[in-house]
Amino acid sequence: MALFEARHLHKRFGQQVVLEEINLSFEEGRLSGIMGPNGAGKTTCFNVLTGRYKPDRGQVLFDGEDITGSPPEKIVRRGISRSFQIMNLFDEYTVLDNIVIALPGIRKKLTNPMHAIDADSEMQDRAMDILDRVGLPGRARTNSKSLSYGERRALEIGVALATEPRLLFVDEPTAGLGADGTSRLADLIQSLKEHTTIVMIEHDMQFLFDVADKISVIHWGQVIAEGTPDELRANPWVRRSNLGELN
Amino acid sequence: MNAPMLHVDNLVKTYTKGAFRKQETFRLEADFRIDGPEIVGLMGPNGSGKTTLFELMTGSNSPTGGKVVCAGRNIHNVRYDERDRLAIHYHQSYQVRHFARRKPAFMMDRAGSDYPLIHLFDEPQFNTQDGYIGFMLDFFRKLRAENRLVFLCVHPNERFHLDILKEICERFIFVQKGTLHHAVDFESLVALQPVQAYLGNLLTEQSVLEGEGT
Repeated sequence: MALFEARHLHKRFGQQVVLEEINLSFEEGRLSGIMGPNGAGKTTCFNVLTGRYKPDRGQVLFDGEDITGSPPEKIVRRGISRSFQIMNLFDEYTVLDNIVIALPGIRKKLTNPMHAIDADSEMQDRAMDILDRVGLPGRARTNSKSLSYGERRALEIGVALATEPRLLFVDEPTAGLGADGTSRLADLIQSLKEHTTIVMIEHDMQFLFDVADKISVIHWGQVIAEGTPDELRANPWVRRSNLGELN
Repeated sequence: MNAPMLHVDNLVKTYTKGAFRKQETFRLEADFRIDGPEIVGLMGPNGSGKTTLFELMTGSNSPTGGKVVCAGRNIHNVRYDERDRLAIHYHQSYQVRHFARRKPAFMMDRAGSDYPLIHLFDEPQFNTQDGYIGFMLDFFRKLRAENRLVFLCVHPNERFHLDILKEICERFIFVQKGTLHHAVDFESLVALQPVQAYLGNLLTEQSVLEGEGT
């Protein structure tokens, strides 16, 4: 059974159909990619899957349970986390603090005036583990606003991982990264894949073909093609393109 | 008795200028029927009436005369918010469509369909670099296999645009100055004199498909 499933999703804004009959399923332990040209409806699709928008029709199932229309905070508590195309970080705080704030159980501790987070070694250790996983252990005490663009992306993924998700949604992780940043990000994603089920929207087809186990192509608000990178690469027009073996 | 999938019945659309002495500035005339699922290529210069034809077929623009009947339903008498369950217009980019609402919903027909029967693709962006063309063509074929009627509107300015039309379309409509010319296959399309004049050198350029063994 798929860990996450979307069935017959339909969404309109005014008179405009943005999602039309979207069916998707993501298997546990896999990296599933969603790609499509600009304006294809990828981000709207993501927003419906992660509870930001309610679909007009259709169902979203996580681990067999219907979560359609659940608010984002409830979805996070069920074990689904997402990182955004536009990065959301607390700039004035250190890298480590950004992670600590996202850890589950932190809210209870924050409301206890007798408890000092700085001195909570358990929390600090957990946060350091996550920084290790995203390749930022040396930057723990740095203010997050002084990170490079690529490091900010990695930190943002770290923040999403801190919620200990069973499923991590990542929105356009390569946006704004150069070739070097992109290849480091590919390494990071490959290592995360071993522990976490990931769904990634990505504009950069080459990147997605390298890291994904399965790809769904979205255009006109619909899934127009689906398969493993090898299956998609077998298409004659893809073979003729920049991604193909003819180049 | 099965109604044809699409019957464009003596459709006329005119645009005029002048408040008192009306002068016709544009006239589109169309009269054809398509009985079952097909992939239809639509071609023509800018301003020839292709998009107007699409708008009339989806009910987002009102005809001056005649009607459009999709699977037995007059599209202009279907509830505004259900018209795209019969025929959907995929614009080049997202544009909000405005229907001139003239009648309350209870006086109008239901679409009777959840997923559109007719899919009109208005100048999709084809780029040979990124490989999306292949997925788009497969999608058109899938719609066709699921008994949908597909219109693909292309304004060819590169040779591979013609290759795409030739590969995927079963019949063609060429629109020029509001007049429709019909062709039953690609060869008869490019044999039409106005089509030859319109395409010019594109017809003699080498195809990207040649020499690949596909």
